[in-house]
Amino acid sequence: MRTLLVSFLLLLPALRAQETVAPTVNEQVGPPRGENQGNYNIVQSWELGYRYSLIGGDEGKYRSDVNYGNGVRLLSSYLTINSKDGHGKLYDEIVLTTQGLGNDPYESATLRVQKNGLYRYDVQWRLNSYFNPGLDTAEGLHLENTQQRWQDHDLVLFPQGKIRVKAGYSRNMEDGPALTTTNLFENERGNIFTLFSNVKREYNSYRVGADLDFWGFRLSVLGRWEFYKEDTPYSLAPPSTGLTTGVTTLTSFYRAAPIHGETPGFLMHLSTEKKKYAVNGRFAYTSGNHNFVMNESAVGTGLAGAENRLVITYGDAKRPVTSADLNISYFPTDKVTITNNTSVDDNRIVGNSYFEQFDLASLTATTLNFQYLGIRLVTNSTDAHYHLTKKVDFFTGYRYANREIKSIQSITDPATPFTNQLYTQSNSLYAGVAGLNWIIAAPLRLQLETEIGRNDNPFTLVTHKNYHKIDGRLQYKRKSIFATAGYKQTYNNDSITLTSYSSHARNYFANFTWAARDWLALDAGYSKMHLDTLGGLTFFAGLPRVSLQTGQSLYISNIHAANLGLRFSIKKRADLYLGYNITLDAGDGRAGLMTPGTVAALLYNVQTFPLNFESPLMRLTIPITKKIKWNAGYQYYGYHEEFGINSILQNYHAHTGYTSVLWAF
Amino acid sequence: MQNREATGGRPQRGPQDEGVRPTRRSFLKVTWILVLVPVAVFAQATTTPNGGYVGSAVCKGCHPDVWMNFPKNPHFKSVASGKETPENTGCEGCHGPGAAHVKAGGGKTSIPHAFSLMEPAQIIDDCLRCHAKDISRANIRRSVHTDADVVCNTCHSIHKPQAPKFLLAKVQKDLCYQCHATVRAQFDMPVKHRVNEGVIQCSDCHNPHGTFAATWRMGVRPAMVDQAAGSEEACIKCHQDKRGPFVFEHAVIRVEGCETCHSPHGSMNSKLLRRPVVYTLCLECHNGAGSVGLQSSGVPAQSGSHNMLNPQFQNCTLCHVRIHGSNADANFLR
Repeated sequence: MRTLLVSFLLLLPALRAQETVAPTVNEQVGPPRGENQGNYNIVQSWELGYRYSLIGGDEGKYRSDVNYGNGVRLLSSYLTINSKDGHGKLYDEIVLTTQGLGNDPYESATLRVQKNGLYRYDVQWRLNSYFNPGLDTAEGLHLENTQQRWQDHDLVLFPQGKIRVKAGYSRNMEDGPALTTTNLFENERGNIFTLFSNVKREYNSYRVGADLDFWGFRLSVLGRWEFYKEDTPYSLAPPSTGLTTGVTTLTSFYRAAPIHGETPGFLMHLSTEKKKYAVNGRFAYTSGNHNFVMNESAVGTGLAGAENRLVITYGDAKRPVTSADLNISYFPTDKVTITNNTSVDDNRIVGNSYFEQFDLASLTATTLNFQYLGIRLVTNSTDAHYHLTKKVDFFTGYRYANREIKSIQSITDPATPFTNQLYTQSNSLYAGVAGLNWIIAAPLRLQLETEIGRNDNPFTLVTHKNYHKIDGRLQYKRKSIFATAGYKQTYNNDSITLTSYSSHARNYFANFTWAARDWLALDAGYSKMHLDTLGGLTFFAGLPRVSLQTGQSLYISNIHAANLGLRFSIKKRADLYLGYNITLDAGDGRAGLMTPGTVAALLYNVQTFPLNFESPLMRLTIPITKKIKWNAGYQYYGYHEEFGINSILQNYHAHTGYTSVLWAF
Repeated sequence: MQNREATGGRPQRGPQDEGVRPTRRSFLKVTWILVLVPVAVFAQATTTPNGGYVGSAVCKGCHPDVWMNFPKNPHFKSVASGKETPENTGCEGCHGPGAAHVKAGGGKTSIPHAFSLMEPAQIIDDCLRCHAKDISRANIRRSVHTDADVVCNTCHSIHKPQAPKFLLAKVQKDLCYQCHATVRAQFDMPVKHRVNEGVIQCSDCHNPHGTFAATWRMGVRPAMVDQAAGSEEACIKCHQDKRGPFVFEHAVIRVEGCETCHSPHGSMNSKLLRRPVVYTLCLECHNGAGSVGLQSSGVPAQSGSHNMLNPQFQNCTLCHVRIHGSNADANFLR
């Protein structure tokens, strides 16, 4: 009996320790989604459909804003393959996503392949079809119908090791037809001619680096070699009589202006994180260099008669950039974090250009240009964050920045040395920030932030000089409800001797998201963005005589934006989404514009730009089988300018939609 | 053996034991005790080594729903490797030793690191234990998000992510829009970067973990715009043709940045411009006034030969086509 009692007493802790050790499921992955093949779990979805669009009004503006067309698309796809135990033979994870493949204007694909501890390979490919409408002379937008394609490859070897090797490659290509303009022969009195250009731009970047963990530090080094080339040719596009009322004509034109350059650079980063402090520092150096040649020939007529002009330019431009940062964080207690950051950035842009002009086979101009722009920026900021209680914390910070800009703009002929007059200016910014986070009640949170700054010598009139910001936000978050409302204002006053510039931006917003049930969700938001700016203008205008004019550029924008989305399911037999977006600039409330042609109208007619852009949409999804769904979507786009500028209205409306089949498991 | 089975496994003294001598009984007792003591000690040791770490297998027992998809989670690597220490492995790698939680029979308060109960600063500290040293998080301690108590689990959902990469709680743009409502409104404008269309993401230009000081403007703002290669403004990542270097730089672009003229998120105006027409945009700076500009004598005003009532001169970029910088002409004409 005693033996049994002792046995029982001894077994007690063992039994107690084992009572919760109860593995339940054999399958580590699988439910809720996916199918198993060997040691892998596979999840996928493929959505194939047809997209259509019907456009009325200004199709160029539609293509600029929206650009969806007709045709069959692989609207989206998603594939993941994961090993069940993290010990796949060649890989442990493959993630593939695509969007819009098959001629949508916006296409993308991402791929990740990785094997735990051995490698991780990421690819991202994107395409953007860009369209810019060509309007008439006054609007002057240059027509572009180009495609830009990006691809980024990143490989990391031993991603969980103490030494990680990294390599990457990026490519960015842009090509397609475009129209641009040039002014020839008589400068301002000459005519403006349209040029056709076949855009060809290519950027390639290679990088190699490594991370090394040692003694609690991590050292990262990265070498980078970037290559850029632009080989866009230009030729004359009709009409040869030009776009404006000048008397010059152009009968033939050709311009080649290849630019080839390289930008090697390297980066080092050292960091450590301890209980009481964290330190990291970065040093980066980049040496940019572009070589160029331009050959331009133009034949036509000028004010004095026949013109036959050849212009040759060549030279190079360099831009070494050095950046360094030191970040120190100190944690004196669990409640306090103090961080100091010092950054130095030094840009030196040096360029020289040789210019030759031949008129009627005679050398008429030869100039040498030398330009230098040096920008040295030093910033220092100190931030402190104090957690008073679990519900209240404060933060405050002080920023100081000093910038020195040096410039040389020299032009001479080959026989005369440069004068190289150096101009130097510097300016300093002093700014302070302070804020509060307060959990008023468990789901309700208040955030306040303010900033005030003084810049003693801003670079432009529109730069922040005497400014302040106030940002407040109230947030309510429960399991199914997220609501937030806020106000933000940014005021800047840049008074100077002859004129002044001031801007007032006030934003109000409210958002409400409610996931009421599995089958019902609501998302609604409203924003008002007010902006008024006032700046002094000096320009020349007048009829019949041109004279100096002064005036003010007043710009007022009152944008109301709202969005509404409602999603609900009908007994798992259908899923319906209804949405509506509207962006309305109410302008300054004026009823109409002045008749163009006067200086007063020149200023008054561009002070505000009221327009309305709205887009209701609907999506319906009906499950056919457990793995197959049928989808249909419709979206309307309506763009309506109130006045147009210079009597040009770009209004359009478009009905777009798609129908698709989704196969997923 | 048959008797033990018949009695439910309990050892019974049967007729066959009658003839066993007392010395042998004592020997069996001692043996029995000697066997049981190490078993009990071993059981104790395997469940609470190193300050109460019980191992992910124990967590799996009560949280099979979390565990089912955990092998797809990047944090599963710590389990799969089998080489990590208990405090860096699986569930307890983030949540701390589980013995107390097991002892209490569950409950959030017994989890040493229950993220839903932790203060923002503690959450950052916990995640940075492993994720601090990456250069993309070098400025997280002073980021605007950290100041606003927007910390790791505000955006990342470790167990229920909607995006396979980076464990985001929602699709990235929806996550950002949740707080940045006015930015969402800007992306709904007619002219915008294609974020809603899915070809660009917020993180292409921004680093939500904080960034190094901007190398343009005065370095203070914008606070969360990432830098392109060469410590340049993020716009350069895609708009390589605007990068230069050019012999004739439009200095304001390098000094003050692209947003001097453009609204990067969205605009009611063409080409994301801040004004509906170009000439007001240009003339607001080019009016010759003040001590601003490269030579501190004002930004040069326009030429007297430009009659602004002539439509030809109302669009400056009609002639000044290389407005972002030129190699051939100081006035950006070619």
